[in-house]
Amino acid sequence: MRKILSILTITIILSACGGGEEGYVGDGYDRGVLLTNITDNIIIPAYENFSTKLNDLENVVGLFSTQTDQPNLDLVEDKWFDAYKAWQHVEMFDINMAEDINYRKKINSYPCNTARIELNIMNGGYDFDDPNHYAAQGFPTLDYLINGLPNGISNYTGASGSMYLGYLQDVINDIKINTNNIKNEWVTNRNEFVGSIDNTATSSLNKLTNDFIFYYEKGMRANKIGIPVGIFSGSPLPQNVECYYYNLKTGNASKILLLEAFDAVEKMFNGISFNDNIKGEGWGNYLLYLNALSNGVDLDTDINETFSEALEAIENLDDDLMNNIITDELQVRSTYDKVQRGTVLLKTDMLGYLNIDVDYLDADGD
Amino acid sequence: MTIELREYFKSSKSASPLAVFRIGFGLMMLYSIMRFYFMGWIEKVYINPKFHFKYYGFEWIPDLGEFTYILFFICAITSIMITLGLKYKLSIILFFCSFTYIELLEKTVYLNHYYFISILSFLLIFLPLNAAFSFDNLISNTKETKVPSWTIDCLKLLLAIVYIYAGIAKINTDWLIEAMPLKLWLTSKYDLPIIGEYFMQQVWVHYLMSWGGMLYDLSIPFLLLFKRTRKFGFFMVVFFHAFTRVLFPIGVFPIVMIISSLIFFDEKFHTRVINFIKNSLFKFFQFKKREKLEVERKSTSKITIVIVLIFFVIQLIVPLRYNLYPGNIMWHEQGYRFSWRVMLMEKIGYSTFKIEQENGRYFYVKNEDHLTSYQEKQMSFQPDFILEYAHYLGEFYKKKGMDNIKVFADSFVSLNGRKSQRFVDPDINLLEIKDSFRNKEWILPLKNE
Repeated sequence: MRKILSILTITIILSACGGGEEGYVGDGYDRGVLLTNITDNIIIPAYENFSTKLNDLENVVGLFSTQTDQPNLDLVEDKWFDAYKAWQHVEMFDINMAEDINYRKKINSYPCNTARIELNIMNGGYDFDDPNHYAAQGFPTLDYLINGLPNGISNYTGASGSMYLGYLQDVINDIKINTNNIKNEWVTNRNEFVGSIDNTATSSLNKLTNDFIFYYEKGMRANKIGIPVGIFSGSPLPQNVECYYYNLKTGNASKILLLEAFDAVEKMFNGISFNDNIKGEGWGNYLLYLNALSNGVDLDTDINETFSEALEAIENLDDDLMNNIITDELQVRSTYDKVQRGTVLLKTDMLGYLNIDVDYLDADGD
Repeated sequence: MTIELREYFKSSKSASPLAVFRIGFGLMMLYSIMRFYFMGWIEKVYINPKFHFKYYGFEWIPDLGEFTYILFFICAITSIMITLGLKYKLSIILFFCSFTYIELLEKTVYLNHYYFISILSFLLIFLPLNAAFSFDNLISNTKETKVPSWTIDCLKLLLAIVYIYAGIAKINTDWLIEAMPLKLWLTSKYDLPIIGEYFMQQVWVHYLMSWGGMLYDLSIPFLLLFKRTRKFGFFMVVFFHAFTRVLFPIGVFPIVMIISSLIFFDEKFHTRVINFIKNSLFKFFQFKKREKLEVERKSTSKITIVIVLIFFVIQLIVPLRYNLYPGNIMWHEQGYRFSWRVMLMEKIGYSTFKIEQENGRYFYVKNEDHLTSYQEKQMSFQPDFILEYAHYLGEFYKKKGMDNIKVFADSFVSLNGRKSQRFVDPDINLLEIKDSFRNKEWILPLKNE
């Protein structure tokens, strides 16, 4: 009797609820397509682009080394900033080899440690893989070498000019070698990566999701806005903006990089291809599927709207982020809060829906 | 009535179910302790963290650092002694104390089944699990073939309480009407062979399992209690727990429940199990049978009965205490623990803490500087954790020389697929709040019930 009753109740409930109406319901979601889109149309093209920009940079540095003058240094400056912008599209993929070699920390730890850099230049014998030297390499160090040296071009033409030049080339070379290794790993392991769609802490999909959220929270939100405006220290640290020296020179570099990074985040979330801006499968669509299944809130729209509001706030900032922090700290803090809203949605709502195994403790539940 | 009760407390049954229960319990505990050790959890949970979350009223429990290993060692040794029935009384007391101490060390890893083991081992102190088939028999050269009926029945009662309260807890709109959180969890099991791609994605499967789970919990004690349905009931127990084991990371819990429910079987079954073990042992070790003096247990002391009765009254009341608090229990979690509320919610939080200094300037704490990632995860959606952590932060920054600071929580929580919403009143200085059993008014009410 109880059985009959329960079956009856279930049928009634089911017919009453009936699931969502959107197209995805019930026929599963192909996570392989999502991974394929992101790998083939975002990650690999972004790395290829970054690698190309690094080659361009290397070429003009070659030119600069044969003819060390201001016009050539200006060329280096241009190509370096292009590469820095391209970097914003790969920083979030802190996965596999990139993670193993601490690629992200090596390439973009700021502010750079100028004392360490000067010591390295004078003494040589440095090891870029040593964590103590993370802040003496990568783009922030190039920023110092290109835009921040106390004597500018004279450092390169003076008595120890060859040492400065040598360090500049070493730093670029290290970035280039690591980038190419990682790019090649992506191409070689593409099929394996795309095929790993299990829901385990080590599967591609879960790692990628975690890294994406981590990047949004730390690499972008905290490093580019939170730390300089003093969210974690109480008082602002405007000198900790990304790309400090070039920003002093141009009055807009930090914001340009921030916008670039934000663009990369939005495209990643929506599965928009790097080269031709075509929307494919990304977390947005995946959430559409899951929300429809559970009759839940439309997270895809929510998150995109939150992104738009945050982007608008960023765009409304002064071109000179550092100056904005000094003159109107509150505005930057409120921008931070809007970006923060996205963190909440990604870390609670999205993770809840994806129900992804996160690499906390592999503890039991009950 | 009182006469009947008195008669009941005098009646006796075969001791074999208790002996089998003792062996099962000892072996499972040994396995569970070893597993904890080999997973490296002792270090990760009890030794590495800079700060431990403690239960309300047990904040004074001292951390043992590296000596935590000794506690686990005591647990393991006493598990073996319990299995053997060697110095049973001493072993079970030591086991209860060491196991419970471990649990009190860190609230972050609270699980209902750890609590179950704690209270079960407390109850076992008062039961003659070494009456038969034990080393204690060999030492004293006596055995008891009969034990008071209530000593077996109270184990059944404890299991029934667990199941029935678990079942009642499932009667809520999230579970039955929305099929939450199973909808979220099952959908994410797309990588299971055979059933993952299709069945786990079906809405009717989510409802079937929600309702089935509720009916299962409510009916199992009765199915096991009556002889006619017992075999079917036990089959359901095995099936259900095996199935949940496949779906969810629930550790040793399924085995504990399967083995424990054997207590419902009659003495014939348990005698057969003991004879089987005996025969294998005798064959293997070439033991000689020794005749032991048959003794009869004097009637149980009144104090024991009173303690056990109080124990059960507490067990019946504690899970109901949530009724004293307004609002959704899954949201505010007041009265949530120790109440057999299992698998009821997918709750994720994100909580950061604002430290406001005397001059009005503020900054946010990086949780990772103070907590392990698992602690941070657990802290982020549980009010008592949030409060405890806020006070810890207050102390921490006071020691750094910041006086008169205020600590505010910026906390968002998403429950069972609802959109995340603010969890804690952001304008309340948590340092001014003391934890207590009073309703935590600083938790904002849940919208979209």
